Amino acid sequence: MKRRSSFFSLFSLKGGSIVKEIPLQVEVNAKRRKLKVPNLSKTRKRSDFFWAYLMIAPTMLGLLVFYLWPILQTIYFSFTEWGAFGQYEWTGLDNYKRMVDDANLLQSFKNTGIYILFTVPIGIFLSILVAVLLNQKIKGKSVYRTLYFLPVITMPAAIAMVWRWLYNSDYGLLNYLLSLIGIKGPQWVSDPKIALYSIIVVAIWSGIGYNVVIFLSGLQGIPKTYYEAAEIDGAGPIKVFFKITLPLLSPVIFFVTIMSFIGAFQVFDLIFMMIGKGSTALEKTQSIVYLFYQHAFVLNDKGYAAAIAVLLLIIILIITAIQMVLQKKWVHYD
Amino acid sequence: MEKTRQLVTSKTLLIHIILIVGAVAMVLPFIWMFLTSLKTYAESIHVPPVIIPKDFQWENYKEVFTLLPFFKFMLNTLIVTVLRTAGQLFLCSLAAYAFARIEFPGRNVLFLVALSVLMVPGQVFLLPQYMIMVKIGWLNTLQAVVVPGLFSAFGTFLLRQFFMGLPKELEEAARLDGCNHFQIYWRVMLPLAKPGLVALGIFTTLWSWNELMWPMIVNSSPESMTLSVGLSSLQGQYLTNYPVLMAGSFLAIVPMLILFMILQKQFIEGIAITGGK
Amino acid sequence: MKKWLIMILTLALGLLGLAGCSSSDETSSDGKVEITYGFWDKKQVPAIEEIIKLFNEKNPDIKVKTELTPYAQYFQKLETAATGGALPDVLWMNGPHVVQYAKGKVILPLSDMAKKDDYSFDNYPKSLIDLYTVDEEVYGIPKDFDTTGLWYNKKIFDEAGVPYPDDTWDWNKLKEVATKLTNKDKGIWGYAALMGNQGGYYDFIWQNGGHIISEDGKSVGFDQPEAIEALKYNISFIEDGLSPTQAQMTETAASELFSSGKIAMMFDGPWMVPEYKKNPDLNVAVVPKGKQRAVAIHGLSNVIAANTKHKEAAWKFVQFLGSKEAAEVYANTGTVIPAYNGTQDAWLQSVPNLNLKAFIDGVDYSVPLPSVENTGEIWQYETDILKKAWSEEESVEDAVKELTKKANEALSNN
Repeated sequence: MKRRSSFFSLFSLKGGSIVKEIPLQVEVNAKRRKLKVPNLSKTRKRSDFFWAYLMIAPTMLGLLVFYLWPILQTIYFSFTEWGAFGQYEWTGLDNYKRMVDDANLLQSFKNTGIYILFTVPIGIFLSILVAVLLNQKIKGKSVYRTLYFLPVITMPAAIAMVWRWLYNSDYGLLNYLLSLIGIKGPQWVSDPKIALYSIIVVAIWSGIGYNVVIFLSGLQGIPKTYYEAAEIDGAGPIKVFFKITLPLLSPVIFFVTIMSFIGAFQVFDLIFMMIGKGSTALEKTQSIVYLFYQHAFVLNDKGYAAAIAVLLLIIILIITAIQMVLQKKWVHYD
Repeated sequence: MEKTRQLVTSKTLLIHIILIVGAVAMVLPFIWMFLTSLKTYAESIHVPPVIIPKDFQWENYKEVFTLLPFFKFMLNTLIVTVLRTAGQLFLCSLAAYAFARIEFPGRNVLFLVALSVLMVPGQVFLLPQYMIMVKIGWLNTLQAVVVPGLFSAFGTFLLRQFFMGLPKELEEAARLDGCNHFQIYWRVMLPLAKPGLVALGIFTTLWSWNELMWPMIVNSSPESMTLSVGLSSLQGQYLTNYPVLMAGSFLAIVPMLILFMILQKQFIEGIAITGGK
Repeated sequence: MKKWLIMILTLALGLLGLAGCSSSDETSSDGKVEITYGFWDKKQVPAIEEIIKLFNEKNPDIKVKTELTPYAQYFQKLETAATGGALPDVLWMNGPHVVQYAKGKVILPLSDMAKKDDYSFDNYPKSLIDLYTVDEEVYGIPKDFDTTGLWYNKKIFDEAGVPYPDDTWDWNKLKEVATKLTNKDKGIWGYAALMGNQGGYYDFIWQNGGHIISEDGKSVGFDQPEAIEALKYNISFIEDGLSPTQAQMTETAASELFSSGKIAMMFDGPWMVPEYKKNPDLNVAVVPKGKQRAVAIHGLSNVIAANTKHKEAAWKFVQFLGSKEAAEVYANTGTVIPAYNGTQDAWLQSVPNLNLKAFIDGVDYSVPLPSVENTGEIWQYETDILKKAWSEEESVEDAVKELTKKANEALSNN
């Protein structure tokens, strides 16, 4: 009876007071139990194992069926070729040999590469800039934060729709505004030379808010003492930024960079929704994942698509490995 | 004194200017989306563009509902999102607790195995997951979208971090009082891990609501489509009638917008936490 | 605490409920049979629902559930549905895909069932029955047919003082009038040179005496001089500024520009009638002739899935779909031109102020859409390669060279 009430009394308390109460009770109980501990340990261990396996079972089973086994299956499929209506046969390394000569695939790598090259650095730079500005003593922070976050909570399908419309060569707002200052706007999403960059702009636009929030929280984690010390030393804002803010923010920057990189690597939604299938801009904007989707579900070339997926896997694994090495070298921890 | 105050105001002004320019860029597309949704087709392709439509064509919104089962899309997306989020929160926290707090043989190995999933790009799972759905006849059903999303290595990892950061004394007390692990999990750990749960919940909700590729692959009949997929099919069916497309897009983002307005703080905190860990 | 338990139980129940909801019960408890009908054109839904209603008057114990899938996803979805054995019981089939589906044994041959029930195939144009005959077996009952028409905007013609198109028109005349009607200041184009095979460059190629797939089915005719000439003519409208460019037409659909009065003329089929009839300025005439007259003819048919669990019910429904009654519903609503012989008049009358006869006339000189086992693959090559010629990025000669190589390769795999 007494024990039960002590247990429940823990819950009527909140916060730090719990911690104060416990040591007393635990000590008392432990003293009482000390004699019985050896016997309990065996049944306790068994009950531990039982509960442990039970609790991890759903997730582990689910991961096994839907994620782990599929990895092996995809690797297997990459060695097969598919016919109509789901029949497939083993063809060994054919798909991989085909990849070497596939101009479309090579181009999609270039496209994805350009996409990453522009989206990640520019996006991070702008996010840090906005985060730093928002971290200053100004009014209306939460209003700004909300506005910058709007694109993040909007579904990519809707974003693609409205930007496609803004970009429309003949009737879109962008080209109209340009015409007001005498420039004939290009075909933003139909010209193979610039379509990719048009998409990059949208990607940056929709991703800033997310990183701003992460950086902001990172910035707020930097102890004020550093800034105060710098002020005493008479350092200007630029120096402060480069010598204090940036280094202390580096774990967060590193994390965001890797996440953005991996995310950018798998771009699909925007390209799928913004570039028309009859447009010649398609070849110059297709990402690797777009090509995967195309082969898997449009051309019904599932074996080849699986090979592309395996290629993606290998690349990401290499990047992750590089990341782990770099983390040790470049990131400053307190 | 005067000089510093002047500097401060001009610095603040500069900051505001930059931020406002950015904010306008963020919001302008949405305003344009809304304005376009109220124009007639002729108005929308008029050169020079009509900024504010003469009459507000609320019929465009009605048109969206007649063209596609939009209510069904919203309902489907709602069901999928709620089930996935609730399911993930429950299953991941369950496993996370076990990994964090219980010593059992194979704990580290199993956890590493689960983690390995995080390193694999999503496309590697797609084809086999799709074939599973085909084989068990779950194409064009909501469960095809929900079920794979119930199991998350990321969620398990995130929550495990959380549990590991909680003081052990509480559990000790509960154990000594004769609670089994499930009760400890249920009554002690879960309430304390609220910030982590909220973070994961927000993250999963956002992702479920906006996901395109997987729902598109498994659901091609309009009754079982989610909003993202429905919106993309609207583009195919109604070709390029932008006012209607804009109306559809606007409708699609309104629910999440409202949710965001209400739970702003939690959203922002949640993202910050997932980013921080 | 109990609240949480209840929540979880509801969750679990919800999941179960979903599982139950979505797997449709094929035979409900009151002895009714339910079959699914798969198709893609939303504009035809009202007519189809009317037909189902009439069907149920005679067969009240067969429930028909419609499954509408947008065309872009239709065959993709069928592919995977066939793999998983989940095809709709009755479904639309088109010429380009029927060979693949028949040879893949995914749809049922109907000849035997027809013979047993004395169902005659003579009620339909022979060319359509032939289209759906594979290895001497008939697989589909023709539903409708379509040819190509020259749609035009009367208002633009009136404002320019040009007489409407008639049957004397040829390629030169089309170009001449398009030039007269193109008005950059008003943002009006004379003719939309859409990149499309049926009702587009196929028609032009045939009009010039060329062919698409050779008699023996082993080679394509894109690299023949007649085809090259036809393609060049088609693209010349874009080159001369008489048509929106390929990029413009991908960003804003030509049919919408046409309905809004920004295009004077374009080729299109009778399936646009429900849409175009809303604009009183629009009308249709016969397609101009080249060296000869030619338009593509194609028609959809209703087929039965091989793995249907309700063969009898499906067959009953398919027969009704092919009946005179069903044809009349299509005709009276002006939805499509029904295939059943003799019912076309009703369709002609359905929209009196449109010159629908242009489509019927076309039948006399129509050429069926070519169909082989991998037609889909060839069409994909056409789109991917010809769009470069359409965007003026590549010469027609280079484009057809590449296309012919790829297409012939595909044909040799048959």
